[in-house]
Amino acid sequence: MKQRALSAIAVITALASAGCGSAADPGSDSGGSGDKLVVWDWKSGDEAAASYIERAKADFAERHPDVEVEFVAQPFDQYYNLLGTAIQSGEGPDVMMFNGGGQLRDRVDALLPLDDYVADDRERLAGWEAFSQDGHVYAAPVTLQGHPIYYNKALYEQAGLDPEAPATTWDDLADDCEAITDATGAACFAQGNKEGYGIQFWLSGLGSGVLTDAEYEAWIAGERDWTSPNVRRVFELWQEAGETGLFNDGANSTAMFNDMFAVFESGEAAHVIGLMSDVGHWKEFNEFLGAENVGVMPAPVVNPESAPSLPYDGGIGYGVAEWTDDPELAADLVRSLTSSGALEAFYADAGAIASDTTIDASDAGPAASAIVAQIPDGEPALHVALSSETLELLGRLSQQLLSGSITVDDALGQLAENDQAD
Amino acid sequence: MPIGSPPSSVRTATVGRPEGRGDAQAPKARKLRGSRRPLADRLAPYVLVAPAVLIIAGLRLYPLALGVNFSFTGDGDRNGQAVGFDNYATLFDDPLFRQALQNVGLLVLLLPVAVAIPGALATFIYLRVPGHRLYRSVYFFPAVLSPVIVGAIFNLLLAYDGTANTVLGLVGLGPVDWLGDPDVAMVTVVGVHVWATFGMALVVFLAGFATLDASLIDAARIDGASLPQVIRHVIVPGLSRTIQFVFVTTMIGLLTSMFGLLYVMTGGGPEGSTYLPEYYIWVQAGQMNRPALASAASTVLFGIMLVVGLLQAAVLRRSGRED
Repeated sequence: MKQRALSAIAVITALASAGCGSAADPGSDSGGSGDKLVVWDWKSGDEAAASYIERAKADFAERHPDVEVEFVAQPFDQYYNLLGTAIQSGEGPDVMMFNGGGQLRDRVDALLPLDDYVADDRERLAGWEAFSQDGHVYAAPVTLQGHPIYYNKALYEQAGLDPEAPATTWDDLADDCEAITDATGAACFAQGNKEGYGIQFWLSGLGSGVLTDAEYEAWIAGERDWTSPNVRRVFELWQEAGETGLFNDGANSTAMFNDMFAVFESGEAAHVIGLMSDVGHWKEFNEFLGAENVGVMPAPVVNPESAPSLPYDGGIGYGVAEWTDDPELAADLVRSLTSSGALEAFYADAGAIASDTTIDASDAGPAASAIVAQIPDGEPALHVALSSETLELLGRLSQQLLSGSITVDDALGQLAENDQAD
Repeated sequence: MPIGSPPSSVRTATVGRPEGRGDAQAPKARKLRGSRRPLADRLAPYVLVAPAVLIIAGLRLYPLALGVNFSFTGDGDRNGQAVGFDNYATLFDDPLFRQALQNVGLLVLLLPVAVAIPGALATFIYLRVPGHRLYRSVYFFPAVLSPVIVGAIFNLLLAYDGTANTVLGLVGLGPVDWLGDPDVAMVTVVGVHVWATFGMALVVFLAGFATLDASLIDAARIDGASLPQVIRHVIVPGLSRTIQFVFVTTMIGLLTSMFGLLYVMTGGGPEGSTYLPEYYIWVQAGQMNRPALASAASTVLFGIMLVVGLLQAAVLRRSGRED
């Protein structure tokens, strides 16, 4: 009898493994019913975003009074894991939030192209590139995310430098940093590379001062020459900065969120390549250092043939799931979430540079004004164009470059191989 | 109604049924089946074990088989297609996964240390060092903290400009990048894990000591044995089964519950030096959107755990036999 039971289990197991399949059934569809839309994001639970959600809901309710909208705030740490599970099962929210770039591009199969629905918003909003793949738009931008170089004007003054005239070339910046470190003991750059994000900000923050226009465009278009002298230079600068003490100590064990920003906010470093929205940005720095002490400088020129520009992309945006019952209704909700009124509330309360170019930012301090002024000439950030797999490798290699356990050539070789395999 | 009468009535019913047919076939049929019991009787055991078997098969074996099956399909563009052993090839080609397996090996090497620490401390408590009552409760205290809290505390202590390095600086030693140096980080995290969990092993050791025959130690002392000799020749042999048990449970703890600490303290870094298979699986499934590759890694981890589990079962069975 024992044998028979065992053979029964063996048969069941064999049957189970014989059935071929995948976790994601391509044909399945589900989602909210016709009069209810479910939205997943990691913002709606945030108090600072409450007025934004209110305004967006009101805008939507005006046009679709019968439709109920439910916002489900997920923890950001777990967001893409939860979303991945939902996508695998083909069931989940109708509308969902995404970070621009790799996180969205890896999942466009689960999203509805929005080109026809958002045509009217294309002019008003900026940052579409990060939510596009192969000529189609998959989400509408809510905020812009970019990497301005912030500096601490008070430290400049203490070192006898003119805070209104920061260095425009790399060599001048290095000299200024030496003066600041001698006078105040502050490091040149606040750096936190524990998660491997530091190199991403470095690449994007300084890249426009190193690569030529043609190289920059080719990089964004996906034709990346990792062995070109200028790309090499960006990574050499990273390694040199680590070796010559331009970074705070222990960069590889300092978390970017939020220890690196804390280093800058406490005046222990003169510069930081920060963010434009959400965290580590002008609004936070204004609160700690005083709005008058926070400056924004363009990327220092390393290569005279380059043209520094502000690196930015669509930061976060809302997309529509391909399994939703009524795509037009869901797309309408996305339009409400990116309406001028809602975005203005988001900018004012949450301290984000909103994607809407018609919003006036002149009352948010000199740093925010400087950023907004650079947006028209801005370019997509270099690291956003990379796949999440390449970014993960980039993070690990950058830590090895700082600890000296790999050469720049080796690192670039691995990155080229990984990037081309995608 | 007395207990026991329902079974008897069932039996009469089932036994009575074939006879109830009342024709000549009944004895013939019984003769053909020989000593076999009636159908319902033979089915009964299957019916009775069915719920347990179905639960095991439906909720354990079937998902397991699905997971293994899924590991032979592709990710992304090849979603749903059979790709043979491609995922396994990718896996063993990935330096990150090899690093994760290496770290499993490192954990096994560090296991004796993780067992020796609670063992030594329990010995001191048993030998009633001054303040042993206080130590007994203090040592157990970290065991009630969640890994997230422990990780957050040690993140502060072990930061480059944190307390640990400040103390080292006071005695003239250079700062150590506890969580930023790839050669140190894994040992640091294991150290924190041992700190956080050794209280449980300590309790088990103390329970083992309670069964130790105190007269043996007294006799050894009268014979002039030194403390190391008492430990070596009396206490360790007397505790051999406890030590084996702690080995097994500590190994399980190291292999299965490091995720929280790794997540909070290093995130797999620096340079991928603190990856463990379970962390790798989580990263591939969620962050990298490659669930099939993660299934392959899960299958490999399952294989490792199966081997470790069988070895441990063998050890425990052997020690049980010594009873």
